[in-house]
Amino acid sequence: MKFGKRLKQQIEESLPAWRDKFLSYKELKKLVRQISSAESCVEYGKADAEAEFVHLLNNEIDKFNVFFMEQEEDFIIRHKELQQRIKRVIETWGPNGTKPSEAEYKDEMAKIRKDIVNFHGEMVLLVNYSNINYTGLAKILKKYDKRTGGLLRLPFIQKVLQQPFFITDLVSKLVKECENIIDEVFPVEQEDEEEIVKEQREAITVAGKGIFRNTVAALLSMQEIRRGSSTYGHFSLPPMDLPDSDLIHSFQLNSPIPIV
Amino acid sequence: MEARPALSIQRSGASQLGSLGVSGGLSSSLSIPSTHLEGTYQKLPDIQQVPSERELTTRPQAHATRVPTNNGVVGHIFSSSSGFSSDLHYSSVLPNEKHSRNSPFISQSLADTASLPLSQSSSSLLPQPTIPSCCNKENSGSWCTDPDFLDFPVSTPVQSGQVENIQRSEDFSKQNDWQEWADQLITCDDALTSNWNELLVDNVTNLEPKMACQVAKPCTTMPAQNQQLPSPSVESLRVVNPSSSANNAPAKPRMRWTPELHEAFVEAVNQLGGSERATPKGVLKLMKVDGLTIYHVKSHLQKYRTARYRPESSEGSSEKKLTSMEEISSLDLKTGMGITEALRLQMEVQKRLHEQLEIQRNLQLRIEEQGRYLQMMFEKQKSGLDKLKVSSSNPENPAATSDATKEAPTKSELESSQRDHLDSGTGTVNNAKSMLERSSREMGGEDMATEAGDLEKTKARVSETSPEQAAKRSRIKE
Repeated sequence: MKFGKRLKQQIEESLPAWRDKFLSYKELKKLVRQISSAESCVEYGKADAEAEFVHLLNNEIDKFNVFFMEQEEDFIIRHKELQQRIKRVIETWGPNGTKPSEAEYKDEMAKIRKDIVNFHGEMVLLVNYSNINYTGLAKILKKYDKRTGGLLRLPFIQKVLQQPFFITDLVSKLVKECENIIDEVFPVEQEDEEEIVKEQREAITVAGKGIFRNTVAALLSMQEIRRGSSTYGHFSLPPMDLPDSDLIHSFQLNSPIPIV
Repeated sequence: MEARPALSIQRSGASQLGSLGVSGGLSSSLSIPSTHLEGTYQKLPDIQQVPSERELTTRPQAHATRVPTNNGVVGHIFSSSSGFSSDLHYSSVLPNEKHSRNSPFISQSLADTASLPLSQSSSSLLPQPTIPSCCNKENSGSWCTDPDFLDFPVSTPVQSGQVENIQRSEDFSKQNDWQEWADQLITCDDALTSNWNELLVDNVTNLEPKMACQVAKPCTTMPAQNQQLPSPSVESLRVVNPSSSANNAPAKPRMRWTPELHEAFVEAVNQLGGSERATPKGVLKLMKVDGLTIYHVKSHLQKYRTARYRPESSEGSSEKKLTSMEEISSLDLKTGMGITEALRLQMEVQKRLHEQLEIQRNLQLRIEEQGRYLQMMFEKQKSGLDKLKVSSSNPENPAATSDATKEAPTKSELESSQRDHLDSGTGTVNNAKSMLERSSREMGGEDMATEAGDLEKTKARVSETSPEQAAKRSRIKE
């Protein structure tokens, strides 16, 4: 149930528009239980049960694919637009621009910085979305096999690996490009190391439902999920290596639903 | 311009099955109207229809509408194929992964709608005029001739353990394996595969050079080929539910956009005077991208307009905008941290998350790859054992024993270290492993040993570096 809980928390912490696009882990688990207990029941034969299960899984996969590709398309568009926007700002209000104005430039750049960072966060959240749904699928398949003695997992997961929603290469590439842009757009860091470290170690309360909150939540969740399970097996992921986890833990997310 | 022929295939003939599988294997071959069934979902006809939102037209309709356009598309492909023979293929998104593809899902043909043409193999370029006729005949012939066929998935449909491993790189004689595989599919009794209901249609079309599109389809990326896509191709993905699903919404082809395709789009829009003035039809014409339909362009244009003229709301809902403002100001108040610093911090967290996600994904891929390998060895072992049983006094034994002495030390070390390391939950894995031990002796499982060793090392490395994680882990376990 640990994963189920984590997933639920992640869903709650995620952007509102995304909430119903995640894996229906709980329902699938219920179905697996039903199937395993009804195994002896003759009318609902094993083949049928499995078929139904597979059918539901396929629906879920469809859902992921559609949502993922839609978001990806949006990201492609926005990525390009951001680049254009930066160019425009530099060319208009920059020092060598048509109407150089430091105030305007600073102002616009500040907005751009904020937008870029949030954009970056959103893309990372999409990658996280993909990953967590994959993990959920892998887990539910494992449960199914375990409970019904089936051999559904291996072949099915191979298929999942090729689904568009799992192939996140493009989004990752956009993320990296975004990071490069950000490096260019942010002023060179001037404070000395100690100051920064000190600031970072302060407990920060992040209010609201911003992207930042979501990414922190996602990271923490991931860490929890990877903590090591009771059924650690050949197909399990090892615990996560997360340096600076102190830092992450220092973010106390102020919400009605406590995260850790 | 709808270029998505649906391939309906009847389950009757091996050849048909084969062709289906083949579609999965397409990589460098141009098969355009290949139906890619693999990797799609299995749907059982008697069970409820899938009311997928992308649902498609019923086959007969589809067939009718698609055939004519097919020619154009296919023609185009063929003509370009000569130029790009081995390069055309589905964009291989996972260039370094060799995934075996799962059994194709063969749709239960609603009959006689003969299926779609199958343009196959670059090597056997069917002249255009024959394409329509192709439509009406079984595809097996054309499929068979494709030398670039890929291997087929190993285990999937087959839990009866009859599938032979086919995964390999391009060099082997695909044709033969493919036939075998097809045969096995037919003989396979697996409950899961009893009814194949869904078709996934892929089209690979050639773009004007410079436009690289990665269009994914559920079964896509002929990964086995590991080929990059020098010549851009567009694939539109459409899920066709042949057994006339209750939901007959007009087919909404789902297209996977890429930055290059988007660039072409922007160019076209600019040429037409900007996003407000450009029309989908005009853009479509200017872009000259095969496989792109007006629906794709329309929806993309809409998104584009939104992104341009309402940049704030395009960054998310206004709710989000508000909350990030809130967030920043609260950060300001509470910590006295400048906005820039707060943003930097946010960036750090985001970068970290992304990094971890990538690592996790790679691990997952490797785990499954190894699982597949184990399974394959298991199958091989099983078939090997069966053979042994059949021929009681057999000459194979001496060979096995000589191998055994060589392989035994490394293999058993590895196996025992694996067992110590892991607490295998799944029964199948255990069986596979013990089988593996024996089979590797027989078959020289050095590769397996190194591969398994690698994976274990990676896992060990990842888990070693965080002693605090281990401490937490023990706490959690209580």
